[in-house]
Amino acid sequence: MPADTRRTKRDRLAARRAAEAAARARAERRRRTVLGGAVAAVLVVVAVVVAIVVQSQRTATPDDAATPAGTVDGGTAVEVGAADAPVTLDVYEDFQCPVCASFEAEAGGTIQQLVDDGEVVVRYRPMAFLDRASSTGYSTRALNAAAVVLDRAGPEAFTRFHELLFAEQPAEGTAGLDDDRLVELAARAGATGDDVAEGIRDREFEDWTATVTDAASRAGITGTPTVLVDGVALDPGQLTAEGLAAAVAAAG
Amino acid sequence: MICATSGNRSGAGDDQRDMRWQTAGPWLATGARLLVGGVFLVAGLLKFPDPAAVERAVRAYRLLPEALVPPVAFGLPVVEVAVGLALLAGVFVRTAALASAVLLVLFLVGVGSAWARGLRIDCGCFGDGGEVGAGKTAYPAEIARDVGLLLVALALARWPASRLALGVPVRSDDHEEYVDAR
Repeated sequence: MPADTRRTKRDRLAARRAAEAAARARAERRRRTVLGGAVAAVLVVVAVVVAIVVQSQRTATPDDAATPAGTVDGGTAVEVGAADAPVTLDVYEDFQCPVCASFEAEAGGTIQQLVDDGEVVVRYRPMAFLDRASSTGYSTRALNAAAVVLDRAGPEAFTRFHELLFAEQPAEGTAGLDDDRLVELAARAGATGDDVAEGIRDREFEDWTATVTDAASRAGITGTPTVLVDGVALDPGQLTAEGLAAAVAAAG
Repeated sequence: MICATSGNRSGAGDDQRDMRWQTAGPWLATGARLLVGGVFLVAGLLKFPDPAAVERAVRAYRLLPEALVPPVAFGLPVVEVAVGLALLAGVFVRTAALASAVLLVLFLVGVGSAWARGLRIDCGCFGDGGEVGAGKTAYPAEIARDVGLLLVALALARWPASRLALGVPVRSDDHEEYVDAR
């Protein structure tokens, strides 16, 4: 009988010790969890701060970034036509954008006619946001080339170059026109010489392409082509020769 | 311990079902971790190479004041990657699943409000700049994808115990955090 009691006591003691050990182990694991969680949270916060600093520096354009001659509106637009024309068209386009190419094919002649008749002044506001659609960053390369043409030969040459680029727009997912071809087209548009080729190959105005793309984003442009008639955006359905002519007539 | 099968019914059929759930549940949770974690990791990583595009995408929603656009555009990808890595590795699974659910709710609010306001934008979910060609929005598909992921994330937050996880439950019978405690 006493032996039995002793054994029961010993069992109870052992059970209690085991329970205490388990509780201690749980507490220890919980302590480690809290510690690990705190460390992980601090690491994430540090990584967020680092990312914000680094990416802000990567997206900042240098203050001395070159702006092509012949631009207006703080260097963000290329103006074509009589400045005192009754209606202003703002045309946002990307040289890699297929809908822009079809818009130019469809309505480019109408725009030219309206400019020639003195009815509109066009402000081309090029963007370069479709670099992913080619393997060589064609969007940026094409806009840089257009900036070189503008800088060396003026807005008229820019307009011709712009037409040539849309006429030869590369399919999405390809390498796009190479620099040699861009130099050839620049010459055909009226910009010739070694410094044209140099500017195209060296991406002289690459920072500027980022600046105008950012400016368009800040202006609320979220797609191309976007055409504003006296500041009012046309609906996609109006982006035809007739739609554009009607909108200009209504505005004028 | 993991599954929500009812505990107060008995019978051979229910027991078998319980057994099956106990085997399949953790594997389902592993699948959920890989799905949600994989999507978040990829979505986050794709936003690093072209920060300017992410900035434009965030701005395109027209929900944030300009001063908040860069911090959100540059900080969010880090959070996405952190959540993705935690889910893939199987550490802090419940917290990461809840965080991913919160993010998905925010994304749904953003996309839904853009749709409701008639904006023509791309969600920018995978590092694109938020721009779309004329009339090429994809709101229903974007919302369906986010709702699907949200449901999976919520289920994972409810039943986080899974196979192939680095972390182990602090206590297997409750919902405490999971951590690498091996």
